[in-house]
Amino acid sequence: MSTSFFERFSQRSQQRLPDRLENRDWLAFFLVAPGIALFLSFMLFPIAFLIYLSFTDATHTGTVIGGGASLIGFDNYISLFSDAQFWNSLGVTWLFMAVSVTAKIVVGIAIAVVLTHARVRGKRYMRALVIVPLGFPEIFSITVWRGLFSSARFGPFNQILSMYNGAVTAVVGAIDSVLFFLSINAPEFLLADVPVAWMGSRWGAFGSYVTTEVWLAYPFMVIIIVSALQDVPMELHDAAKVDGAGYLQRFRHVTLPAIKRPVMFASILTAAASFQQFLVPWVFNRGGPARDNELILVYGFREAIELNEYGLSSAIMVTALVFVGMFMWIAVKKGDLADGVGNE
Amino acid sequence: MIDTVRKTIEQVQTGRRSLSDVGKTIAGSTGATLLVLLLMFPVYWIVTASFSQGAGLMSSEGLFADPSTYNLDAYRWVLFESNFVFEDGEVGKPGALFNSLIVVFVTVSVSLSVIIPGAYALSRRKFAGREKVLYGYVLFTQVGAGLSIATLVALYALFVNLGLSNNLLVLGLFYAAGAIPFNTWLLKTFMDNIPVSYEEAAIVDGASQWQVIREVILPLAKPGIAVVLIFTFLAGWNEFIIAQTLLQPENYTLSVELYALVDDYETPWTEFAAFAILFALPVAIIYFAAQNYVESGLSFGGMEG
Repeated sequence: MSTSFFERFSQRSQQRLPDRLENRDWLAFFLVAPGIALFLSFMLFPIAFLIYLSFTDATHTGTVIGGGASLIGFDNYISLFSDAQFWNSLGVTWLFMAVSVTAKIVVGIAIAVVLTHARVRGKRYMRALVIVPLGFPEIFSITVWRGLFSSARFGPFNQILSMYNGAVTAVVGAIDSVLFFLSINAPEFLLADVPVAWMGSRWGAFGSYVTTEVWLAYPFMVIIIVSALQDVPMELHDAAKVDGAGYLQRFRHVTLPAIKRPVMFASILTAAASFQQFLVPWVFNRGGPARDNELILVYGFREAIELNEYGLSSAIMVTALVFVGMFMWIAVKKGDLADGVGNE
Repeated sequence: MIDTVRKTIEQVQTGRRSLSDVGKTIAGSTGATLLVLLLMFPVYWIVTASFSQGAGLMSSEGLFADPSTYNLDAYRWVLFESNFVFEDGEVGKPGALFNSLIVVFVTVSVSLSVIIPGAYALSRRKFAGREKVLYGYVLFTQVGAGLSIATLVALYALFVNLGLSNNLLVLGLFYAAGAIPFNTWLLKTFMDNIPVSYEEAAIVDGASQWQVIREVILPLAKPGIAVVLIFTFLAGWNEFIIAQTLLQPENYTLSVELYALVDDYETPWTEFAAFAILFALPVAIIYFAAQNYVESGLSFGGMEG
């Protein structure tokens, strides 16, 4: 379908009451307006206010409307763009988005392919089970994952590493007793240094953010990809088999083309969500260690609420909003991808 | 299950299925089961932890504790000693649960009272800017999740200055505003599926506009309204960061208390786990009940135009 997203979703508007009822615009307006007004007063108005603040030297909440702030033009933006912290934050945000989206797509496709495979029995129940995390409150899942990544000696992941160490030592010990003429110790590079302080290093924390975000988002990806996979006609696979295509060839030439559009669409949405990720870094270690992993929203939030730099913070948030606007523009431009999701 | 096994054995014996074919199926199914177990590990961990108060969770057997040591002590602590129901478990001092319910009540009542009329108008009436409103709502729903954090910075300053920051009613209103786009869109799509012919029949019979809305649209839209009610309930119940920023400890909602537990290194995991489960499990069940409703009427994500 080559119609635009916009046209398609306004198609429903054709199905409406006859003309004589449609002239009373004022009633419709009266019905829609309260919702729009409430939404805009908590959304559009603060955004306008944010833009205004970004041109002032407001520092703490008292100066924001107390008259203590004065307009200083683009000074906030100038100091922002010359601040290494800002570029670090922006870089980490983009890196996080790239790594996380890639991981989400790969994991999503892998799970979906396994759970639709003909060789797997009971796959319907498994599919019902794996999307359960979708129903958990975000703060629940994130705090649980923070527990899993506990740096305590008996934190769950550290315990698993200890078990792994134990297994490696046992295997090496067995080899050692068989080869009685040699004395062999478990090689250092195979053993993990337990306990690992997951949040203590920059890339440790970064990796734990990515892992957690993938776990939060995979049910969404799996639902979309599974429904796309189920739309691939079996005859295509059979025809490819008859022509002698192996599994990987069939995956590349039959499966992938069929799920490309829905996956692209889901990627745009999930990329926007990753770019705006806030809760995971905030709950894990507030974008630490030091300020290494402050994703853009964490950075802006912290400058205002904790460090009382409202003017600077507003400039950060406005910059972030420009990027979010860009995602919206992409979603509109590529919107015709949506029909792979909706029309089953 | 046993039937399938018996049938398979018979098929192999009579030579209708080769042994390697059965082997592949078993290998595939086992692999898939392992994958599912791996994905569900966090859920397994939080559930066992919640039952392991006083048992050796923080020891080498902790992850796979002996089920015979399971107990409900952690749940007892959450219900009678933590801030979950009453502050510090003292009967009479309303705790986080009450704060959450106040917020949720405001969110649900305010948002339903603007969503239902809005959805009706968007579904059944033609007016200038209709498509633009819908378009804006969908865009915000799909792409704008982080906007509320960006705007929180500006709103927080305003609320503090107006003395509204530590106010559960304002918080509920904030959530209601955020819930409008998605839920209006959802209910509008639901109403689109109600055949126009019912209304036409009612008009032919002499019903007034108001009667058509009250006696045709609203009763037929009930399942959709129920779903919207659940989603707005969840919006108020689940949200964390805005509540944490705006509220003082005496007004903490359940989500903020949950975070306070995990942020405090003194809290045993068992108690945190029981708190988390009591916070999340009821709403997860409600969510899936609603999700089934949604999927029967619409496709996933409300994307169907």
